[in-house]
Amino acid sequence: MAQYVKKDDDRDEEAEYSPFSGIEKGAVLQEARVFNDPQLDSRRCSQVITKLLYLLNQGDTFTKTEATEVFFSVTKLFQARDVGLRRMVYLIIKELSPSADEVIIVTSSLMKDMNSKTDVYRANAIRVLCRITDGTLLTQIERYLKQAIVDKNPVVASAALVSGIHLLQTNPEIVKRWSNEVQEAVQSRAALVQFHALALLQQIRQNDRLAVSKLVTSLTKGTVRSPLAQCLLIRYTSQVIRESSMNSQTGDRPFYDYLESCLRHKSEMVIFEAARAITELSDVTSRELTPAITVLQLFLSSSKPVLRFAAVRTLNKVAMTHPMAVTTCNIDMESLISDQNRSIATLAITTLLKTGNESGVDRLMKQITNFMSDIADEFKIVVVDAIRSLCLKFPLKFRTLMGFLSNILREEGGFEYKKAIVDSIVTIIREIPDAKESGLLHLCEFIEDCEFTYLSTQILHFLGIEGPKTSDPSKYIRYIYNRVILENATVRASAVSTLAKFGAMVDSLKPRIFVLLRRCLYDNDDEVRDRATLYLNTIGGDGSVVETDKDVKEFLFGSLDLPLANLETSLKNYEPSEEPFDISSVPREVKSQPFAEKKAAAKKPTGLGAPPAGPTSAVDTYDKLLSSIPEFSTFGLLFKSSAPVELTEAETEYAVNVVKHIFDKHVVFQYNCTNTIPEQLLEDVTIVVDASEAEEFEEIATKPLKSLPYDTPGQTFVAFEKPEGVPAVGKFTNVLRFIVKEVDPSTGEAEEDGVEDEYQLEEFEVVAADYMLKVGVSNFRNAWESLGPDFERVDEYGLGPRESLKEAVSTVINLLGMQPCEGTEVVAANSRSHTCLLSGVYIGNVKVLVRLSFGVDSAKEVAMKLAVRSEDEAVSDAIHELVAN
Amino acid sequence: MLLAVLITNSEGNILVERFNGVPGEERLHWRSFLVKLGADNLKGVKNEELCVASHKSVYIVYTVLGHVSIYLVGKDEYDELALSEAIFVVTSAIKDVCGKPPTERLFLDKYGRICLCLDEIVWKGLLENTDKDRIKRLVRLKPPTEF
Repeated sequence: MAQYVKKDDDRDEEAEYSPFSGIEKGAVLQEARVFNDPQLDSRRCSQVITKLLYLLNQGDTFTKTEATEVFFSVTKLFQARDVGLRRMVYLIIKELSPSADEVIIVTSSLMKDMNSKTDVYRANAIRVLCRITDGTLLTQIERYLKQAIVDKNPVVASAALVSGIHLLQTNPEIVKRWSNEVQEAVQSRAALVQFHALALLQQIRQNDRLAVSKLVTSLTKGTVRSPLAQCLLIRYTSQVIRESSMNSQTGDRPFYDYLESCLRHKSEMVIFEAARAITELSDVTSRELTPAITVLQLFLSSSKPVLRFAAVRTLNKVAMTHPMAVTTCNIDMESLISDQNRSIATLAITTLLKTGNESGVDRLMKQITNFMSDIADEFKIVVVDAIRSLCLKFPLKFRTLMGFLSNILREEGGFEYKKAIVDSIVTIIREIPDAKESGLLHLCEFIEDCEFTYLSTQILHFLGIEGPKTSDPSKYIRYIYNRVILENATVRASAVSTLAKFGAMVDSLKPRIFVLLRRCLYDNDDEVRDRATLYLNTIGGDGSVVETDKDVKEFLFGSLDLPLANLETSLKNYEPSEEPFDISSVPREVKSQPFAEKKAAAKKPTGLGAPPAGPTSAVDTYDKLLSSIPEFSTFGLLFKSSAPVELTEAETEYAVNVVKHIFDKHVVFQYNCTNTIPEQLLEDVTIVVDASEAEEFEEIATKPLKSLPYDTPGQTFVAFEKPEGVPAVGKFTNVLRFIVKEVDPSTGEAEEDGVEDEYQLEEFEVVAADYMLKVGVSNFRNAWESLGPDFERVDEYGLGPRESLKEAVSTVINLLGMQPCEGTEVVAANSRSHTCLLSGVYIGNVKVLVRLSFGVDSAKEVAMKLAVRSEDEAVSDAIHELVAN
Repeated sequence: MLLAVLITNSEGNILVERFNGVPGEERLHWRSFLVKLGADNLKGVKNEELCVASHKSVYIVYTVLGHVSIYLVGKDEYDELALSEAIFVVTSAIKDVCGKPPTERLFLDKYGRICLCLDEIVWKGLLENTDKDRIKRLVRLKPPTEF
């Protein structure tokens, strides 16, 4: 290294001069030839290896030939006696990772070192061998490795154990044979050996629940020598708890006492690990949670940022499921808002937003306002999302929260951040009717000075839908027309469409809108002129105050009524010719995408990106699909379509799910089928339904699916008649019947002759909840009062012994199929009573509200009081009947 | 898994970069992300004062030592607390090798030895040795004293 030290450290201007400056791979590779010298200069060789390491650590790579050449030269260095050089050689061989055919040249040297009397040679040789070895070599050295695991020198043992952890990925069957030795190493007195042995043993036995459970049982009673090992043990313990609690639902939680005792460990790492393990226990009670929250609270005021971060991160997670348990930390949490570390501050804020009560909202928002100006956009987005949830939780506070959002909307920020704010405002407008007018005005002001074309067009589109329905639509026109004057062509075109929507929907505005649209005829962009011309010619003759024809409205602004993916495919397949593209040739059948749907359902429908009111739009698509089928077109209005119910296991030959469509006098089952076998073509696909356990249903029509090629979903339908307006229930058994034809994989052509075949599907039920639409109300109390007590029906029910109050509440919610309001579906842990508010629309379009009061006694007997208000006496009674049965 | 150990000079130029289990195409992204994180947050931070962040499901603990910045990235069992344990080992080993919080020059002068230390501390993403005296002996191929 002396060669690099050309300069005196005191000379500042040169102090930063890099000894590697001007280093070049080619030159270093040349230098590496010194490894071949008959008289080895150990110091020089070490220096060259350092340079090679520097190159590799900078992300430089060697070509195969370069690496091979260096590797072969390096192997010569095993002749040198210099200890420092030997250590460097071990490192550089690992870094060069030679290929299997080259390894052979060093194995004998390494094997020699592995049996050396010097322990550290052995440790290093083990690490290098394990790094470069393959399966065959490993069987040769396995004997030595097993010995090394129980070696009395902790360095050797650790080297073998860590090698084992790595080798388990590539050669599991060999490493699994070492379990006796590893078991012995777990009892080692050396702290790190125990840590590594524990990690390896758990990985060897991870598929053997009983063995892991035994390991945990013995170690939690024995001595664990290092905090690192203790942390591992806590993790494995919580895994055992998770798996055992699945088996026995009652009784004391195993190992909780161990976790709790770890909260008093002297190492912070162990305390934290135990606290987190407790908070993540399934169905954790508040009694179990309290000690963990207490230690986390102490960490909140620690001087170490890492501890504060870890604590606030964990509490933030707890706040999602047990907000009440975290409220005790609110004061400490508030002081973290000014924490230097912005990650900590953001986590603190979002936790407070989750745990705060309605009265504290104003104060909290004041604190957040100061905080927002000095954090990065990515944190701001998190805060905005939390504020949106808060607003939906406390709808009465929308003024404060909307005000906050509109303020931050005016400040500087990138696209993602602005989009998050706009999406939040849109969601609030949709969910809270009172917030509509002020929200729309905030959005109007925003587009006056918006640099993002995407956001401007989205907002203009949204204004076109919502603006005409407000009390004074004219006030939005100015903002929209300003866009026509001031913006780029894309935004201008959007603004023209929005203006036209106002013209079509609000007759009184029509003459004035026409004046504005005529001005757009001279725009210098084609699209803007085209749109203006189209609207002027279709909406209403000369622009006098007349009502626009319904068909025109539907043509201009109605939904396209086609799955966009299908339209896209058809357009791509269309070849320009004399014959114009015929939109009616586009297939209307919806590709069923159960996985995507599940994902979408898990996400809350939010913002502009999502279709307006998610569920309705699905119903719209179904409605159009069903009415396009002649057999079902007379069934009238579609009341409800259920979510798809899977009738096959995942990854079977044929994937089938069913959507239940409820009409007043009929039900239609839509079976979405997918053929997952490339070598098969299915034809004449039908479902044979056995409705013997559904007495009130009578099958009246089926629509078979002509052909079901590989991986192209298709639908077949079966329709039943049922008594009008009656929520009939029953069980349906299903068999998939089809003709199967072999397909030649090389040509993709199917054989002419097929064989008839059947495939048994799971059964499903039509239940009472299928007759109830989930429709929420923003303010339950107001809605309850306005329905009045005329058709209120109250009764009490004993639900018998239940697993927990939470389980009882969710069972009743699922039974009724109604929308829980104001977050009342969440039951606080350990509470003895709970009130749940539900809202929905019953078949026949009858609005229903339900108040459920639950109580549980020490024997877990749950009693429930059910109060129903609706617009129809019979419906109130029907809800009670549902529960009574 | 300890996904990365990154050491840069105060301008954000890479001195040591060791990734484990990070695909080649993601490394550049991680490098620039970490350097930016340091540029935003390490000004005025005292020697060995730990900063912490999380990005998606990974944790980052980083600090300043003399004129170099050290970043550790981990996931799963290597969470913020395990990483702070590991970074403590790294900083003490570097201080030990350099005799003081290093300037960039001093760091590069001791480059070979520092690489050996890192090799003893982290092996392919697993923490192997944590005691600085033992590490000091191991890089010289001397047996540990306590044994």
